[in-house]
Amino acid sequence: MLKTFLSHQSKSFWRSRNKGSSIATQIILGFFMLYFLVLAVGAGFSMPYLLPKIFANQNVITSFNGLILYYFAFDFIMRLQLQELPTLSIIPYLHLKIKRSQIISFLNVKSLFSAFNVWPFFLFLPFIFMRIAPAYGAFATVMYIIAIFSIAIFNNYLVLYIKRKTISNVLYTAVGLIIIAGFAALEYYKVISIMAASDFVFKAVASHPYIGFAFPIAAFLIFKINSDFLRKNLYTEELSSKQEKKVSTDYAFLNRFGKVGELAALELKLILRHKRSRSSVILGFFFLLYGFLFYKTPAIDGDKFGQMMFGAIFMTGVSIIIYGQFMFAWQSAHFDGLLSAKINFKDFIKAKFLLFTIASSIITLLASFYGFLSPKLLLLQLAAYLYNIGFGTVIVLYLATLNKKRLDITKAASFNYQGTSATQFLLMFPYALTPILLYVPFGMMDMPYWGLIVVAVFGLIMLLMRGFWVNVITAKFEKQRYKIAEGFRE
Amino acid sequence: MILEIKNLKKVYGDKTVVNIEHVQIKQGETIGLVGNNGAGKTTFFRMLLDLIRPTEGEVLSKGENVMLKDDWKNYTASFLDEGFLIDYLTPEEYFIFIGSLHDLSVADVSAYLAQYAEFFNGEILNSGKYIRDFSKGNQNKVGIAAALMQKPEILILDEPFANLDPTTQIRLKKLLKEHPGNMTTFISSHDLNHVTDVCNRIILVEKGQVIKDFKTDENTLKELESYFSA
Repeated sequence: MLKTFLSHQSKSFWRSRNKGSSIATQIILGFFMLYFLVLAVGAGFSMPYLLPKIFANQNVITSFNGLILYYFAFDFIMRLQLQELPTLSIIPYLHLKIKRSQIISFLNVKSLFSAFNVWPFFLFLPFIFMRIAPAYGAFATVMYIIAIFSIAIFNNYLVLYIKRKTISNVLYTAVGLIIIAGFAALEYYKVISIMAASDFVFKAVASHPYIGFAFPIAAFLIFKINSDFLRKNLYTEELSSKQEKKVSTDYAFLNRFGKVGELAALELKLILRHKRSRSSVILGFFFLLYGFLFYKTPAIDGDKFGQMMFGAIFMTGVSIIIYGQFMFAWQSAHFDGLLSAKINFKDFIKAKFLLFTIASSIITLLASFYGFLSPKLLLLQLAAYLYNIGFGTVIVLYLATLNKKRLDITKAASFNYQGTSATQFLLMFPYALTPILLYVPFGMMDMPYWGLIVVAVFGLIMLLMRGFWVNVITAKFEKQRYKIAEGFRE
Repeated sequence: MILEIKNLKKVYGDKTVVNIEHVQIKQGETIGLVGNNGAGKTTFFRMLLDLIRPTEGEVLSKGENVMLKDDWKNYTASFLDEGFLIDYLTPEEYFIFIGSLHDLSVADVSAYLAQYAEFFNGEILNSGKYIRDFSKGNQNKVGIAAALMQKPEILILDEPFANLDPTTQIRLKKLLKEHPGNMTTFISSHDLNHVTDVCNRIILVEKGQVIKDFKTDENTLKELESYFSA
């Protein structure tokens, strides 16, 4: 039975609608996976030589031991963010003559097919064979491997269990995040040290290898808990969505824009009421931290706005870029309805401009806390903001008329490449390069502020020309709508 | 008695969607579940199939609570909606998979499907399409045929006549009426003509509650029509 399930899974992958058309995406994803695997293997084999250099004043094995739990703590957080619950795939089997226990073991096995469960091996095995084996002998080596394997499994099922629990109770999420944040803070302020703890644990395994059996026991326990929970709660409506009372809402602030405002409100509801669009909004807030990567003190002191431009554009325009890359496709499920309804296409396009402008304004206001780093950054962000709402919106909406890929917005966003096509990759080039190209000549002539003014004025002119751009995009949209609708219907 | 529903309740928020005190179903009965949209028909079916956890009460299949044991899966077949189909398989693959669950060989399955040639009207088998590429009507046919193939003692179909063309509706009626043995059938439908024609017992539900429960006779259709037009 398990074999049949897995063969169905592979069929579902290879026969997925987007497969044929998005081979480019698949290849790029494949390269990414390969890249990370190569990185892991490389890191694994170079660890015996790199560790003494990084932690010069301690024993290599101490450093290695210290890294293990560190890695898995990080692994845990990453999994929490990225690992998907394999739940929806079981719906067609529930009513059939298949035992519940078989369905659960399928869910359990399926969850093991995750890159997270492969990396630790590539990362840690080389060092174990090269350094641990000669130092502590065969038994300890085997226990090391068992321990690492078990922690990976432990993390795997713990994350699934937590995720399943949190679906039914938001409180768990809050508590979990507070605990993790607490540990992070303790580590940061050097109250406790994961490295020291990790070293302590694995030293014990090295000297008394049988202690290592604790890990598989822990892994088995969490596996059991997870399976039991599933056995008692194998109801898809409880496993996959929250039950909350749905209420009708009215966004009063949009009413003043008339028809356009109504359409914008419609789309705002779409964004807030679907998982994928909602997570792209939340992602937008995370990108507010991007500034810390780009706004480096030397760059700020040297007025090197060119280096920081991308960061500023991306931050203030993140909602336009992330949400806009799938423009129209968000509405693919009811696109026919929109086309046949009494909607003026011009209003339809204007509503998108309106939403983008509001979103970008909010993010820009929030991002102005970087003014504490240096007031200059406010100028930079203002220029970026004007560019985003003036010209960025135009690029995004124009390219959107070329996008014919259907999107299922009920699915989550991480590692979901449905609806992705070459358009999305194309989008970034004109979007990010235009302002940088505008700035560069002035940057080279050592007139950074003039560069900012040019970018800002360019954005402002485009903003004033919005009426013209609305007409251009509406015309293009009217021409393309049949093709778009056809693509969305698939 | 093959099925017994005891004090079954499903509450979403403050809305009671299903509230059925006691219903007993004897082997061989063909029951039509009739009611307007929102009457709780599909939710009720989903609880029969243990797809939704009841807020209260229980469904006993051959005396055993469906939530506790899954023996009922051995003799129960169902098709409620397209979510029951594995839509990235071809119909053949799907039938063979369902057949394998009931220990039918590939040859058994094809022999079985041969008798449905008329029902399928040449559009399903060897069409070179995945199930998801079919129209809703044809997807329905796949689901219904797959359910019947399991030679169930209990068959549950939600709106089997919806989306089907007139010819197929008539064929399906024939299939349901003629189907041999002591199969207990549970169907829901908005088409009063069809249910009274196929079923020998009608359960009328409204807002989750059983309003009427009676055997069909020559006056049933009139009775139902007058109830729904009131």
